[in-house]
Amino acid sequence: MLINGQLKYESQKLAMNYFRVAIVLFGAQLLMGLIAAIQFLYPGFLFELFDFSVARMVHINALVVWMLYAMIGSVYYMIPDETGHEAVGIALGKLAFWILTAAVTVVVLVYIFIQVGSGSESTIWFINEGREYLEAPRWADLGIVAVVLVFYYNVFFTYLKSEKKTGIMTVMVANLFALAGLYLCGMFFTDNISMDQYWWWWVIHLWVEATWEVFVGTLAAYALIKILGAKREIVEMWLWIEVLMLFGSGILGLGHHYFWIGTPEYWWEIGALFSALEPVPLVAMFVHVLYDWGKEQGHAEAGGADTAVKNSPAMAWIASNAFGNFLGAGIWGFFHTLPQVNIYTHGTQFTAAHGHLAFFGAYATILIGMMYLGVQGAYGIKKMTMTFKSKMALFLIIFGVLGMTVALTIAGYEQVLVERADLGGGWDAFFIAQELPWYVQAQAWRLVMGIVTLVGFVYLAWDLLTIGQEVSQKESESVAATA
Amino acid sequence: MWEACTDVACGNLFAWLNQGPLTLTIFLHTVVVIPMFFIYFQEKKRLEEGGE
Amino acid sequence: MSKKSASVWTSIPFWRRSAAWVTGVATVLLIWLTFDTMGQISMGSDEDLKNGVTKRIPAASVINYHIDYQFDDKRGHEVPVIGEKEPFFGKEWSAEEAAKLLHLGKLTSQAKNCMNCHTLLGNGAYYAPDLTKAWLDPKWNDGTMTGITGKASKEEAMAEFLMHPSQYPTHARMMPNLGITKEEAVALVAFLKHMSAIDTNGFPRNFSQSAKRLEGGTHAH
Ligand code: HEM
Ligand code: HEM
Ligand SMILES: [Fe+2]
Repeated sequence: MLINGQLKYESQKLAMNYFRVAIVLFGAQLLMGLIAAIQFLYPGFLFELFDFSVARMVHINALVVWMLYAMIGSVYYMIPDETGHEAVGIALGKLAFWILTAAVTVVVLVYIFIQVGSGSESTIWFINEGREYLEAPRWADLGIVAVVLVFYYNVFFTYLKSEKKTGIMTVMVANLFALAGLYLCGMFFTDNISMDQYWWWWVIHLWVEATWEVFVGTLAAYALIKILGAKREIVEMWLWIEVLMLFGSGILGLGHHYFWIGTPEYWWEIGALFSALEPVPLVAMFVHVLYDWGKEQGHAEAGGADTAVKNSPAMAWIASNAFGNFLGAGIWGFFHTLPQVNIYTHGTQFTAAHGHLAFFGAYATILIGMMYLGVQGAYGIKKMTMTFKSKMALFLIIFGVLGMTVALTIAGYEQVLVERADLGGGWDAFFIAQELPWYVQAQAWRLVMGIVTLVGFVYLAWDLLTIGQEVSQKESESVAATA
Repeated sequence: MWEACTDVACGNLFAWLNQGPLTLTIFLHTVVVIPMFFIYFQEKKRLEEGGE
Repeated sequence: MSKKSASVWTSIPFWRRSAAWVTGVATVLLIWLTFDTMGQISMGSDEDLKNGVTKRIPAASVINYHIDYQFDDKRGHEVPVIGEKEPFFGKEWSAEEAAKLLHLGKLTSQAKNCMNCHTLLGNGAYYAPDLTKAWLDPKWNDGTMTGITGKASKEEAMAEFLMHPSQYPTHARMMPNLGITKEEAVALVAFLKHMSAIDTNGFPRNFSQSAKRLEGGTHAH
């Protein structure tokens, strides 16, 4: 992952830089998660030095930021393939990358060393904004807006320049506009906590359950063509169907966050029924990926080749995405999306179980797949196959995250029964539920599975660094042997 | 025929539509989906007449 | 021109137009609903409180009133009930003073990152108790925390706790000292009291049923 050697376009070289930072932040995310997980079991760990709130804030911020990096990287990577052109403002794009990375570094250092400020506007501007996932201080918000404008300029004007506007790029350009615009909804201060959360969910929900999902649909479409040689007309038709279903259910599905925050009762109905439909497109996406895979594999075998897959680690991660998205967002999301259930599960470890499996299954997986695609391009590999390390990474990370999810689901279930249904919430109810053996054991298993995930991550980082060299060497040896 | 409105503020259309289970959401789903029939028949006509 | 038989279901233009249509309508509906909701969740006024007009989010000066959370037969769940006037930190706050206090409280809640341990209105982190109805929690009303902190009123006990949380632990898992000043602590208590008066459609359900049953131990242990 360290060289760009075989890439023809500057845009794709820039993409590799985004991927590099993303993987570093992914590692940081996991370390912070482990600190927080240890604190659940040993509350004295780093107490009043590096408190849970700090570890968790960095955990979820690193998560959002590495995903945005990998997303921007993926777009810069596909622009030349989809438009046939270099990105129009590549010099500006590179500058923006370095500015963003410098800003992210400063923000993280401030989170870690300054942590909290006094109750004043200047804290919101310079230290942190104290709103889950959107903690970045206001100055950084403005910086992010500037960088995203540069990015969008590159995407949009390169798209305009292309002779044939592909369906994939059309969806990408429109969707990125919405995705970037939504960020603005999270950039103001209000004394009214209900108003605050109303708009906060516009960013969070309309990202992960609408625009990011469509983004994943576009990436999957691009990757299926690239890895399997799937037929563009079919893939793009599916893409439009997915857009229809994702936005049709996801936009008004926003209502499932408006059950209890002071908003009117009619959101019960709207939120319940629109969000109950959200799993449907996720099933469709799953079927689509498997169908195309099977079809192209069949063609390849009929033609005498042993596989249709030009990049097996990327394909494995994309197939995991198809299933993980359906499982984490679709199934785990549906579990708690009806108000009759959500009144009890709202804000328990159940939510955390869903958050982990959904973010991992829907986004981490496919973005890792895109990184493997990048490595393939950077080393000019024709057919990339999995190494032992690729397999270990795939297995351990998936096993670890699934294990954490199951553990947290059990913890959440216990909270629902004891803290919520039986004792009705409140301070005492909370701590009674936190101290019961089922809960404590579940937290212990989460820690164990978190360590498994981290080991898997080490394999992943190691593999991304070395696989290009290994496979390209083998490829040139076998070419030399046949010659 | 209608139950009394259960919302805190009943003066608005959405609360009024929210009279019984599902009334509001069925209404909204219908608004979203019905025009797709129109799009369907229009596209069909276009295809049959040999467009694109 | 002869008619060709063609399937619309495999036509890209059909799906593209449908996608655009459905997305557009869903967006318009969401914006419309947002306008309606904005009206209902904007903060009430001091006059509303004086005239007994129920608002989902009352004015900041609700801190001058007694707040309760009671079952409502018509709505089928608990709702906040705003009662008689009661002093808050020993005095009645004017509408402007109360608004300023709430502003400082909300700002401090963000500056100190409360949401990355606690949930507010059920959203946030799951390391510490939900704060939605913290003001009404039996812990502050049954003498436990006033006793531990040695304060006469619950608002004073809360403020004292917030300033030195790790001096008054109730469990092994403690709240850390966040450098909260006296002024900020008072403001935070106002923020919590105001939040407990928000109409959350009955969340949390059966709030603190435990309180009644816990006297004399709980079967959960
Ligand atoms: C990839 C897509 C998704 C991601 C990444 C995701 C992620 C999350 C996260 C992180 C939260 C917790 C937010 C917080 O910290 O307060 C959450 C909450 C929630 N999600 Fe999802 N989600 C996804 C899809 C879905 C779907 C498809 C559904 C429903 C079918 C759903 C239903 C919910 C509900 C009901 C909550 C609120 C939980 C509560 O009341 O505490 N999610 N989601
Ligand atoms: C080493 C592995 C990991 C550990 C030990 C870990 C631990 C944690 C902990 C302790 C929390 C705080 C939960 C709470 O407030 O009670 C958390 C939150 C969260 N983590 Fe992780 N995590 C890990 C990996 C991941 C991964 C791989 C993802 C996604 C790709 C992820 C996404 C999240 C999200 C979205 C939240 C917020 C959940 C919510 O508010 O509902 N974590 N994690
Ligand atoms: Fe959602």
